[in-house]
Amino acid sequence: METSRPVVVKRVPERVNLKEAREFLRSVEPILHSDRPQLVFDLSHVRQLDSAGVDMLLHCMSEAMKRDGDVKLAAPSAEAMVILELTRTGRLFEIYDSATDAARSFSSFLPNVMRQFSAPEPATVSFPGTGVKAAASRQPAEKNESAA
Amino acid sequence: MDVRAILLIGGRPEAAGEHFTGVPLAMLDLLGASLLNRVTHRMHQQGIGSIAVISEYDQFPDRQLSHDLRWFKATNGQFWRFTEAVFNDFAQNGAELIVVMRLASYVAVDYEKLVQFHLDRHSRLTRACEPQGEALDLFVISTSRRNDAAFIFRNMLERFRVQPDMFPLAENQHRLQTVADFRRLALASFAGKTSIEPQGRQIRPGVWVAPGARIHRDARIVAPAYIGAYARVRARAVITRGSVVERNSAIDCGTVVENSTVLPFSRVGAGLDVGFSVVGFRHVFHLQRKVDVEIADESLLDMAPTSATARALSDMVNLALYMPKAMLAGLREKGREIPATLPEAIQAAPPSLSAAAVEHQDRADRHFAPELMAARRYGNE
Repeated sequence: METSRPVVVKRVPERVNLKEAREFLRSVEPILHSDRPQLVFDLSHVRQLDSAGVDMLLHCMSEAMKRDGDVKLAAPSAEAMVILELTRTGRLFEIYDSATDAARSFSSFLPNVMRQFSAPEPATVSFPGTGVKAAASRQPAEKNESAA
Repeated sequence: MDVRAILLIGGRPEAAGEHFTGVPLAMLDLLGASLLNRVTHRMHQQGIGSIAVISEYDQFPDRQLSHDLRWFKATNGQFWRFTEAVFNDFAQNGAELIVVMRLASYVAVDYEKLVQFHLDRHSRLTRACEPQGEALDLFVISTSRRNDAAFIFRNMLERFRVQPDMFPLAENQHRLQTVADFRRLALASFAGKTSIEPQGRQIRPGVWVAPGARIHRDARIVAPAYIGAYARVRARAVITRGSVVERNSAIDCGTVVENSTVLPFSRVGAGLDVGFSVVGFRHVFHLQRKVDVEIADESLLDMAPTSATARALSDMVNLALYMPKAMLAGLREKGREIPATLPEAIQAAPPSLSAAAVEHQDRADRHFAPELMAARRYGNE
């Protein structure tokens, strides 16, 4: 499933303190206020992230979600990841290895997190001699009994 | 017999990792007492009188350390020259044997037996080794052999003029060359694999608490764990999976400390998740990611003053400023417009669903009985 809306990738600066966080927020605000914003924050250059930076990330996410959009994180540096884990915010975001993966995830039908828990492909059963293959599915026991 | 000791911290190129933010690992508290403190205490108990420490680093404040310990800070270039000078000074002042030990590992040593072995063998130089034969940086040198000693020091304890007699120790050494080793040593001590005993009272099986520690009744301490002297664990904090909270540290409300060490004088903020880390001196060293992160934000991680007076003053200032700060915050909140209803963004349906939402709302209005009233359980509104 493809979407026509653009995915904006923003590189987060090396140090994200209160001042930097405000500046960054100012730069992404127009995107956040659009309809269904799709944002990827590239954290690969982040070396220092404080609570103001984490607050800014959460603010961006909540603003995006209010408008049916989403914010995803890409390629977080080890330092950024430590802070995200320390502040328990890492689990709130979808995190991808690269900005490309994160951007691509917007156009896929199921987010990666959901895909991990989705049901496996049904096994196929072949009928020898007939060349027919059918998908095997389990029917509830009650239905089987009633059919019999 | 006059036996003295020289303890060495650093001094080799591979010793670059033997510190955490400039404090040598041997000086960091481990279950209530630093490695240096444990070694010097044992040496004093076993009759080694004067001890000199030669370090590349400044001395970290530790009240438990013996007062007659002489601390010399030497830079890398002068380190071994300094050691030689101290050795000569001890020899001139009447020492007969000098124990030289590099604190890059922990091992329980019976110094009496080591010295007796040296004397029985009429040895010039004795070196301790593990039961399997791996040599340690622990020597006994006769002061009459100054040239031998000078040769050893000039070769950073790696080459000798005469082959040393090897003294086998009863247990293996626990290396202390990285922060991960430091954490591993704490876990090994909890498991009883070392002779290190937590300094404090065992209040429950596997939970040690040092005197003066304050643990909130809503906090959870899961064994094995250690809470150091005058440490504070506030409400709903969880200390679990072999975690260590050293002296004068504070774990704020709701924070989870899992498989980590919180170093002395650290203040860990509220609602955090500290896992697989060594935390202190405004740094977090994550053991799995092998990364050291400096935390500039005081609300996440802060450091209390190491001096007791400064700590008391800081607490008093904080207490005095609490009310004005709260009032100021209240005034600021008063000036801010608080929306009477929910924000528009929450109330309004997203553009794509607006039609459906309106229809749903109409239907809800139709089914809602007009005589039904909703009331709050508490309050007078």
